[in-house]
Amino acid sequence: MTLVISVCVAVIFGTSIYLMLSKELKSVAMGVFLLGHAANLCILAQSGSPLIVGDDGMVESIKRPPILGQGEPEAAPLDLLVDPLPQALILTAIVISFGVMAFLLTLLVKTARSQGTLDLDELAVNPNEDDGPASVPVQSEDDENRTTHGPQPDRGNDPEKGEPA
Amino acid sequence: MSLPPLNDWVALLIVIPLVAGLLSLVVINSRFWSRAIGVTSILLTLGLALGLLLHLTANDGAVLVSEMGDWKAPFGIALIYDSLSGILVTAAMATALAAYLHSFSSLDPGVERRYFHPLFQFLLVGVNLSFVTGDLFNLFVGYEVMLMASYALLTIGSGKAQLRQAYKYVLLNVLAGTILLMSAGMTYGMFGTLNMADLARIIAEIEADPTRELPAGFTALSVMLLLVFAVKGAFFPLWFWLPDTYYTLPIAIGGLFGGLLTKVGVYTIVRLFPGVFASDGAGGSSDVIAVVLAVTAGVTMFLGVLGAVSQHRVRKILAVHVISQVGYMAAGIAVAVWVDRGAVLGGQVTGRTIAAFAIGGCVFHMVHNIIVKCALFLCCGLMEKHAGTDDLDKLGGLLKRDVFLAVLFFIAAMSLVGFPPLSGFGGKIVIIQAGWSNLWVLSVLGLLTGALTLLSMLKIWSYGFWNPDQAPVARQPSHVKATNRSAYLGVALLVAIALFLGFGSEAVYEIAFNAGDQIADRTAYIEAVLGPEGIANLDGPATVEPSATTQPAEVLP
Repeated sequence: MTLVISVCVAVIFGTSIYLMLSKELKSVAMGVFLLGHAANLCILAQSGSPLIVGDDGMVESIKRPPILGQGEPEAAPLDLLVDPLPQALILTAIVISFGVMAFLLTLLVKTARSQGTLDLDELAVNPNEDDGPASVPVQSEDDENRTTHGPQPDRGNDPEKGEPA
Repeated sequence: MSLPPLNDWVALLIVIPLVAGLLSLVVINSRFWSRAIGVTSILLTLGLALGLLLHLTANDGAVLVSEMGDWKAPFGIALIYDSLSGILVTAAMATALAAYLHSFSSLDPGVERRYFHPLFQFLLVGVNLSFVTGDLFNLFVGYEVMLMASYALLTIGSGKAQLRQAYKYVLLNVLAGTILLMSAGMTYGMFGTLNMADLARIIAEIEADPTRELPAGFTALSVMLLLVFAVKGAFFPLWFWLPDTYYTLPIAIGGLFGGLLTKVGVYTIVRLFPGVFASDGAGGSSDVIAVVLAVTAGVTMFLGVLGAVSQHRVRKILAVHVISQVGYMAAGIAVAVWVDRGAVLGGQVTGRTIAAFAIGGCVFHMVHNIIVKCALFLCCGLMEKHAGTDDLDKLGGLLKRDVFLAVLFFIAAMSLVGFPPLSGFGGKIVIIQAGWSNLWVLSVLGLLTGALTLLSMLKIWSYGFWNPDQAPVARQPSHVKATNRSAYLGVALLVAIALFLGFGSEAVYEIAFNAGDQIADRTAYIEAVLGPEGIANLDGPATVEPSATTQPAEVLP
């Protein structure tokens, strides 16, 4: 059982990395989504095999849900229960990966709207790209410049200051 | 009504910014109230962190443990405030205050309206949680909170360059976060616990008992964790995301990121590696980790500074410099992992192992670097206000135009270089001295890096401040000074702290070395978290059978 899960983790992880290396940002987002699943399965595998194996090596039954007071045998009841902690961890991790996914999709939509493309190559060689920092703070003085980016050293040239030496 | 006991105040370090973040969502349309809530929150958190830190120093390195919901330590989540966490939280909050003040005058109003204030507070929640948590899975949560806020801060404004870099940053950090999550799961599978003190206890007991050895795959797990924190800390060869990303940020945010975020990664390595995930017990990983850390430290600091010297824009120089300085911290940890646990430094420094000494230097350097790096970024913001650009070819004449800024920049730059008695000296000298007899290559590289750091800082100084004006003057100096008072206040605050770190280094050394002692010998930390029975078997197997109390993994398979 553990082996099956391990193989699943490996396959999902590999697929997800393959997708993340793609140039198309939609595939990248799918890769990120799959990555979370690989991690969750990996944690699930940490709770050990769900099977109870008897002395003769045969599978007797599967483990019980981790709820005490349900008529479990008195002797060593914990051995017969599934470890609940990894599941609690997975629950937290799922919520977090939802958050990351929501953010990434929002970013994708925003990129598509403002750049008109979701291809990383086209994003990179955008001809009217700016090489400067996104918000060199020239805006505080000239409000009409707020939408432009990049350094604009000729703005705000004040005659009072005089010419440079 | 009486106040809660002192240790439970630690939780407020997380609660205050969280509440402030939520409140500033409510008043998002009022700039005044957003700022007022933000400043109040940071001031309260800073005051609390400082007060608790002073309490720790007064009590000779006590450890404050707050158990969430009163669940006892290995089972519930514990928040732990010791010297290491304390000094870093305090430095982080001081930096946050300065960057926040700086943002009042430097941030584009459009960016500010787009949820800058709540995101800033949520970032602080994540940073503080990562610093004080005593639980590996909770650390993952802290990281994710911090990263989500940083993703969003990275993309508000969304210039084209910013958007493109955002993908690089987000994807790399998502991948690192996932590996951290898997490693946390595997740690639970191997040791049956996620509590850091409990982990340290189990591993120390295995080391002390010659009949037991660490589980198979322990080294692989350690390397996976190291990989995660190396991405976060921008170690070689995983630093490529950093210069481009920080370069595109609005300067107040860039200053905060440059000062804080990489140090969270380094902090985690300090917290988790020496003696725990770099264990030298049977089947341990300390050999592998020591070599990896030593090589990466040397290359990080030297290539980082070469990269910085070759840049020709102030922002790029500073961003690449972040990497180089992280190399020093990695060198300190590498020395601590490399040397024998009990080895003592010769000469005048007595009563402290080399490992504790090196970690102490690393902590000092971290604190110094958080403060000074942010100060330099914020100075760069003011230089851009004057000149309209950060291109060194177009800068010039700033010394004549703004003497105050020049003085602030000079002090910060020389602190970074490490001129005695300024603050950079204190950490570097300890790291170099600790490495001298064991890893002298690292120490030599450290000295060379220091010289090149001086070169890169002089480059900014001579082009930006000393040069005659290169271009028509973009801004009238008096106008810049009048409209950017809060920005000057932020920079001055950080420079004042940097001066204190240099001239008052005695007090800082005391805390840093205390942190070093507690990391090199974790007995006090384990006892504080788990109680006296936690350290009963640390010196090897007791006369009674140890298995009854020490193996939660067997109870919960």
